[in-house]
Amino acid sequence: MGKVINALRNKPIRPMLMGTGERIRLILFGKEADKGLLFRLFLYVILIETAYLYLNPILYMVTTMVKGLQDLLDPSVNWIPRSLYWGHLSKAWTLLRYPVSFSVSFGLSIVASLFQLVACAMAGYAFARVAFPFKRFWFACLIFTFVIPPQVTVLPLILMYREVGWVDTYYPMIVPALFGHGLKGALYVIIYRQFFSILPKELEEAAKIDGASLYRVFFKVMLPIATPAIVVVFLFSFVWNWNDSYYPMMFLFKMQDVPLSIALTKATADLSTEEGQLFAKSLDMAKSFLAVMPPLILYLFSQRWFVEGVERTGLVE
Amino acid sequence: MNAWIRMKNTLSHRYEGIFLILPWIVGFLLFVSFPLVYSLFMSFHSVRITGTGITNTFVGLKYYHSILFEDGSALYDSLLPFLRQVLFMIPIIVIFSFMIAIMLNQRFWGRSFFRAVFFLPVIFSSGNVIDRFLSQGRGQLGFLEQFSLSTAIAQYLPASWATPILSVLNSFVLILWYSGVQILLFLAGRQTISASVYEAARIDGANPWEMFWKITLPGMMPFVLLNTIYTVVDLFTFPGNPILAAVNPTQYGPTSALIWIYFLIILFFLGVVFLLFAKASRSTAQTR
Repeated sequence: MGKVINALRNKPIRPMLMGTGERIRLILFGKEADKGLLFRLFLYVILIETAYLYLNPILYMVTTMVKGLQDLLDPSVNWIPRSLYWGHLSKAWTLLRYPVSFSVSFGLSIVASLFQLVACAMAGYAFARVAFPFKRFWFACLIFTFVIPPQVTVLPLILMYREVGWVDTYYPMIVPALFGHGLKGALYVIIYRQFFSILPKELEEAAKIDGASLYRVFFKVMLPIATPAIVVVFLFSFVWNWNDSYYPMMFLFKMQDVPLSIALTKATADLSTEEGQLFAKSLDMAKSFLAVMPPLILYLFSQRWFVEGVERTGLVE
Repeated sequence: MNAWIRMKNTLSHRYEGIFLILPWIVGFLLFVSFPLVYSLFMSFHSVRITGTGITNTFVGLKYYHSILFEDGSALYDSLLPFLRQVLFMIPIIVIFSFMIAIMLNQRFWGRSFFRAVFFLPVIFSSGNVIDRFLSQGRGQLGFLEQFSLSTAIAQYLPASWATPILSVLNSFVLILWYSGVQILLFLAGRQTISASVYEAARIDGANPWEMFWKITLPGMMPFVLLNTIYTVVDLFTFPGNPILAAVNPTQYGPTSALIWIYFLIILFFLGVVFLLFAKASRSTAQTR
């Protein structure tokens, strides 16, 4: 009996003889659940909804910062301003001391991320492929470093940097990166380790048979093919270093030339006048725009490699 | 002699990679382990910074005692509500980002656009900019007020739980903004499951629903663990976290004690996560 039912169930569906109901079912649900129209619709609804949530602040930021007095007073103007007003942007520019803070931010982030890019790759490669004493212990240390919040170690670091006279300099943000630490350094080491450990061993062996030393293998063979991981680490590192305001706040007490992330909180609008209050929101958005634009532009340009890189860092086949 | 040379050779061969890892180890000792031990040391001492140097006087468990039993406002009034909130946020973030990553892995029209969009929160949610958005009410969901959900929740739940739930709902958009990295990690993890496994399952007559539970989910388990850890760590260094605001270079001793209590709580959270996953992976191993 069971056999008969099974045979009936497995009977191939002949499309020509299908009823309309069956055909509609096939269109809606598809041969496999992930091919049907209903599923597609569901997918798009969720994705568009979330994409909207992600794009919304950026759209809001851009539209709010170009609203002039007229548009701000007019309650019928919600999203799109009637005319473009650039006053907020130029005011934010001077309030933030944009040329100075931009170059500080840019210099710090690019140097720190380049250092992390190389130093974390070395450590990641060592953790993935190289034998060294107490490897398991050091790996536990790596995981431990990953979970320590920076706040636990920041006070001793302030004292330490004060001893060597690094407070109010940019060294505290750069030197740890040189050693493969710094902001979220452990995460990058883990990413690199993940990437290197799934590369085929034959590559290194071939180079070694040809007589290359380990360092040659690393810098001439492994690092160049690690581009996907490099793109991912560089972008993360640059963006996080750019946005970070915690370390600069802790280590730069009296510094005049602060990074943008700090300037953003320091430069407050004048709220004493009525006009100042009215413009506060727009000015805030203009400042945010100036602060967030550079990494955004960087991402727009590197986005293609980045998305690819994310996929390839976990690649097996 | 010959044997000695051979031994030296294998030794140098074996450990020739030490110079690759050495910078990291030095960095670890300098920038991680030393400050860590020093901060533990400071939490038992009264630290005074004078013009000539730093003087430490031993005070024992005084600071811990005062934080835990005497003046608990820093810990209990601000941290406990935050912890309850975190308890809700972790599963929401992990499940949401898992769902989105699985969806983004499908083949559909406009996929590359969506993938590009989903990194955006990483750019604007890691810095001070997010405070600007939040202060202008960009982190709220409109429908809560429309359907008067908030009043319903406040009515039917005890206040100690209704408040965190409400604040989670009120900052729901914020939660989704914080899922950027998790989505990327899941997307990368999804690539580690080879397509041939799905092919084989399809030939054996498995439907997508079964394939999700039998292949995708077990295969992604390590990444779920990784993401949960990442989320815990990330949330505990959340801007607007009450404890972190207390960390500033004025009172070294008491602050160090506070942050160590906080750190132990984080470690406890992570320990629970690890235990849960160990259990889960054991039970899936048994069913297989």
